Amino acid sequence: MAFFLQNAWLIPLLPLLASAIITLTPIRRQAMASAWLATGLMMAATVLALGLLAAVAGGWALHDGKLVQLAAHHGEHGAFAFPEPNVVQRLAWAPTGDTVLQMGIYIDGAAAAMLAMVTITSTCIHLFSIGYMAAHPRQSRFFSFIALFTAAMLLMSMADNLLLFFMAWEIMGLCSYLLIGFFYERPSAARAAVKAFITTRIGDVLLLLGIVYLYAQAGGIAFGNEEGGIFHPPLLERLATETGALGLSHAAGIALLIFGGTVGKSAQFPLHVWLPDAMEGPTPVSALIHAATMVAAGVFLVARTFPIFAADPTALGVVAFIGAFTALFAATIALAQFDIKRILAYSTLSQLGFMVAALGVGGWVAAMFHLITHAFFKALLFLGSGSIIHAMEQQPAIQRIHHHDEYAAQQTAQDIRNMGGLRTRLPWTFWTYTAGYLALAGIVPFAGFWSKDEILLDAFKHNFAVYLTLSAAAFLTAVYMTRQWWLVFFGEYRGEHPVVFKNPDAPAGHAEHGHDDHHHADHHGEHWHEDPRMIAALVVLASFAVTAGAFNLPLDGPGGHWLASLWGQEAAKLNPLVAGLSLLIALAGIALGWYGYRNAFATAADTDPLAARAPGLFAVLNAKYQIDELYAATVGRLTASLATAWSLIDRAVIDRLVDGMGRFTFGLGKVNFIIDDTLLNDGPDGLASGTQGSGRQARRLQTGKAQDYLIYVFSGLLALAVFWLYVIGR
Amino acid sequence: MNLPEYLIPAADGVPWLTLLVLSPLAGIALIGLAWLIKLDERTIKAGVLAWTGVPLLLAGLIWARFDPNAVASGQGVVQLVERVPWIQAIRVDYFLGVDGLSMPLVLLTAVMTPVAVIASWNVSERVRAHLALLLLLEAAMLGYFVALDFFFFFIFWEFSLVPAFFLIQGWGREQRRYAAFKFFVYTMAGSLGMLLLFQVIYLAVRQAGYPTFDLIALGRLGQGLPVAGVEGNLRDILFAYLEQLGVTNALGRYPLLYSSIAMWAIFIAFAIKLAVWPFHTWLPDAYAEGPTAASILLSAVMSKMGAYGMLRLLLPFTPDAAQYFAPALAALAVVGVVAGAFGALHQVNGDIKRLIGYTSINHMGYVMLAIAGAAAAGDAGIAARASAINGALVQMVAHGLSTGALFYLAGALHERTGRWELSGLGGLRASAPTFAGVMGIALFANLGLPGLAGFVGEFFIFRGAWATLPFFTALAVIGLVVTALALLLMFQRIFLGPATGAPRAIADLRPQEFWTMAPILTLSLLIGVYPAPLMALGNAAAGQLVAIFTRVLG
Repeated sequence: MAFFLQNAWLIPLLPLLASAIITLTPIRRQAMASAWLATGLMMAATVLALGLLAAVAGGWALHDGKLVQLAAHHGEHGAFAFPEPNVVQRLAWAPTGDTVLQMGIYIDGAAAAMLAMVTITSTCIHLFSIGYMAAHPRQSRFFSFIALFTAAMLLMSMADNLLLFFMAWEIMGLCSYLLIGFFYERPSAARAAVKAFITTRIGDVLLLLGIVYLYAQAGGIAFGNEEGGIFHPPLLERLATETGALGLSHAAGIALLIFGGTVGKSAQFPLHVWLPDAMEGPTPVSALIHAATMVAAGVFLVARTFPIFAADPTALGVVAFIGAFTALFAATIALAQFDIKRILAYSTLSQLGFMVAALGVGGWVAAMFHLITHAFFKALLFLGSGSIIHAMEQQPAIQRIHHHDEYAAQQTAQDIRNMGGLRTRLPWTFWTYTAGYLALAGIVPFAGFWSKDEILLDAFKHNFAVYLTLSAAAFLTAVYMTRQWWLVFFGEYRGEHPVVFKNPDAPAGHAEHGHDDHHHADHHGEHWHEDPRMIAALVVLASFAVTAGAFNLPLDGPGGHWLASLWGQEAAKLNPLVAGLSLLIALAGIALGWYGYRNAFATAADTDPLAARAPGLFAVLNAKYQIDELYAATVGRLTASLATAWSLIDRAVIDRLVDGMGRFTFGLGKVNFIIDDTLLNDGPDGLASGTQGSGRQARRLQTGKAQDYLIYVFSGLLALAVFWLYVIGR
Repeated sequence: MNLPEYLIPAADGVPWLTLLVLSPLAGIALIGLAWLIKLDERTIKAGVLAWTGVPLLLAGLIWARFDPNAVASGQGVVQLVERVPWIQAIRVDYFLGVDGLSMPLVLLTAVMTPVAVIASWNVSERVRAHLALLLLLEAAMLGYFVALDFFFFFIFWEFSLVPAFFLIQGWGREQRRYAAFKFFVYTMAGSLGMLLLFQVIYLAVRQAGYPTFDLIALGRLGQGLPVAGVEGNLRDILFAYLEQLGVTNALGRYPLLYSSIAMWAIFIAFAIKLAVWPFHTWLPDAYAEGPTAASILLSAVMSKMGAYGMLRLLLPFTPDAAQYFAPALAALAVVGVVAGAFGALHQVNGDIKRLIGYTSINHMGYVMLAIAGAAAAGDAGIAARASAINGALVQMVAHGLSTGALFYLAGALHERTGRWELSGLGGLRASAPTFAGVMGIALFANLGLPGLAGFVGEFFIFRGAWATLPFFTALAVIGLVVTALALLLMFQRIFLGPATGAPRAIADLRPQEFWTMAPILTLSLLIGVYPAPLMALGNAAAGQLVAIFTRVLG
């Protein structure tokens, strides 16, 4: 036990090492060696993380290097508080006047659970990627990036203060940028990468302000309940009672700024726009970063700093509202998308909204529980979609598009209208995907049922409006997932005559080529294949999607409330009414989805049944409420005009003044010309010659000779000396 | 000469700082010698590069002898002091020394000069003159950072303009004459007020019976710290002198008025160098039109001369006025932050050097914000205020490293593409992956990614400035987002997308170029991961410097 507690810091170090070795040594030229190196070290980190989780769950802790057993902490009614941490190790990082900022690791039940979840999903995704990325020439770079990402996510989970948390958080943002733009030849990928980085950075700077606000108020940013820690009860009480800006208490102000970071990173409305576009990255990246881990970091941020939120409930109201709104809003958009990954992306937004809303109604355990189960089943769904896309891309109709436009081929392969009947063609994928689907839809006894039910229960108890909103979102979740599942796996395969994606960035001359092709589709060229490494990853994740609910069953007795007691919080009791209702809602959603889509899409080009019944609504949902367009027309245009305006001020106002003053000075300088000539004998360079070649009006002002200006310096110094001598001689 | 306890000479009696300042000048002599014996230009380049190792080595030795934790009678101890009476008539001493405020900048200067020399590798006209000017510039900048008598301080300050001027004018681009002229006159004009002020200060302290140009003694007087041989503080001394002249009868008996005039005189001189809005418009021209080596030294080191001047002169001499006007200074800083960011954004289809220049305006805005934040009134303690100064020092070093790297790479890109415009480029990453990777690191270092030095500076600046000026600090984050956008779009324009631009492919980074960048960026990484050694350099001195601002002045 002591081994795992003492060496917890190795957990992020191992993937970091993998990333550094791949980047810096010639191993990067060996694609498979790089891949297995990263995967192997990731597995080692998983072992350490599971050992650590066992030690923490056993109540073991390190105090001054000695192993001790912590007293059990069950959470009391009333104020939220974290239990005593199991490991805290710190070193001096930066001197700050008469104080020192320390950095280190802080391991408690929440951190241990996060570490275990992240290492397991990341290992699965590494393994899957070996199969998925095998054909790609930049495979080594890919593994270097996802290993670096995992290292940052792990470091963030065990950070002992908000600054280290933020640093790891930003490194994750960097990896997200690099991996979304992994196919950098594609303009759409490059755009999506920048969009993701900048949109999340808007949230990040708010978080940064929240951190410095807290730093200024508390004099420190280290986690901990003791004096000097940011959860010290007297400090929290002071923050909640003293008023800062805008009539908010300090606690509310800090909490709202911190929540800004969550809104960016966890893609909550109104900063959600980057996540669907992030699907431009390779599918394992979508699974790891944009479903299971990084986007959940925003939820973990609020969970980590929850005592500050709890100190003044003002901020929690905002958290609940944003979360519930995003949950429902994103679910409606998912109803009308055709891209298999985008449907999952909107589903991720929606599920993150569930977690955020759970925190907003005070359901800390429920949010963290859902964070963990969602990571498993959403990673599973994304990897399953990767397996599907991988197989689709091998099909003749797609291959023909691939010859002249790789991007259009990939997008076409992701369109669920072009799928159908894959149940028999990709059986492993089908069964594992079904497990993920049922977990997400919330069917008992799959993992998502238990965690979502716990969220709904908390909402039911504390905020009925949030409960209703989330129930509606849960209903829509079941509908859109059934629609997707049915269209992908059932019916007839429609891919011989696909709806071809029109690539706006396509090289000229090829744009319409794809259309001509697909009439000649070859029905006999189908060959379907599932990669064994990919299946292995799917099976591991599927087993968690089926069973992860057992981590925190709402039942007393052995095995019940395990996570709640690991986290030292009050356990939720099963409420048969809420549980039964949520199961009914899920079943109703599935029934509606099945009823609506059971006969839909005989061919890929058919109209969606929802579009046939309500074309206006479908168009709005399909266009994602046109929020991207709205932002481009407002924020985008404003930014561009500001850039132009500032440059104009520089050139038309400030430079005019400067040049005018320069001209005036220059006029004075002419007086000195005689001295000039006699002193430096500077030759025939005319003043006028200087104006040659100057095109811009503002640049007309020209220099004479360097010597002219040098003489100003020295005459200035001379005058100075004379002045001094005069003063002294007085 | 008897030295007070806050000044200590080198224990080994070696005039390290004189050697440091003279070493680049000796390099110039060697260039002359090489010219006499008609060495070829390539050898001279290699020789100069090797010679820049001498100041670097000396700076390292000075660092090894420097005790960052030494404090005495209310200030960080000035070390390796050399003090020799020079012009007795006006009490000018040859007075050199380093403390925590100057040490990081001395190191930065010594590190960046070799990079500038390597960046001039492809200069083919008047090579010897070019290299000699670089060394001259290095000597002037080093001299500026270690000179502690106003006479020498000001001479180094003004003299650094001369090599920079000739570098821009002699080896720059089309608009070089305009840019060089503007740069020169801007700085010259801005310094006039400070020059006049020091004459008045001299007369005032002379009347008080303590004629001196000693910046440390004057700074102590400004802060009200004891100086042997004189009573009172600088504000009262100045006021008494002006009263005697009868100025106060005309303008009023407000001591703060006169320290405010003094503060603004100092501020304008240094704000121009630091490119604080609205004194910034020389910067894009000078950086963009100058040759790569000049862009590197100007942006990486020279702009820091302004910030250093504020720390050395403005805060200690006129603390009351600095505190009073801190919100105004912060407002200028924030406007600069925003203007620099949007200015850079405006260039994403324009000139790459101009873009990098505008990001420098943005970054120096944060430094200005830190200085204002450290001085502003409020109940913030020493920890917050010292953090702001520490952050500013780290930001200066970090910006020097990352902007130097970006200018170097922009020059390397221009060699390959023959153009400075970003529009029309694209997709070069496929042919030059290492180039893209190194530029990416430099860019993320510049935009303040955690793990690289820039973030440390920005974080502590924000941490310190929020404590006294939360409103301006909150506005300044706009710059963090917009600068990031500008830099990422720049990267996208050059490297991403299909390779349809002209040229379609470029040569990847050569080993020589890679190994020029590797130490710079590694240094940035080390500072970003573990800033304690760098921050410890200035921490004690910063803590003492800001102590006065925890009281209400004025």
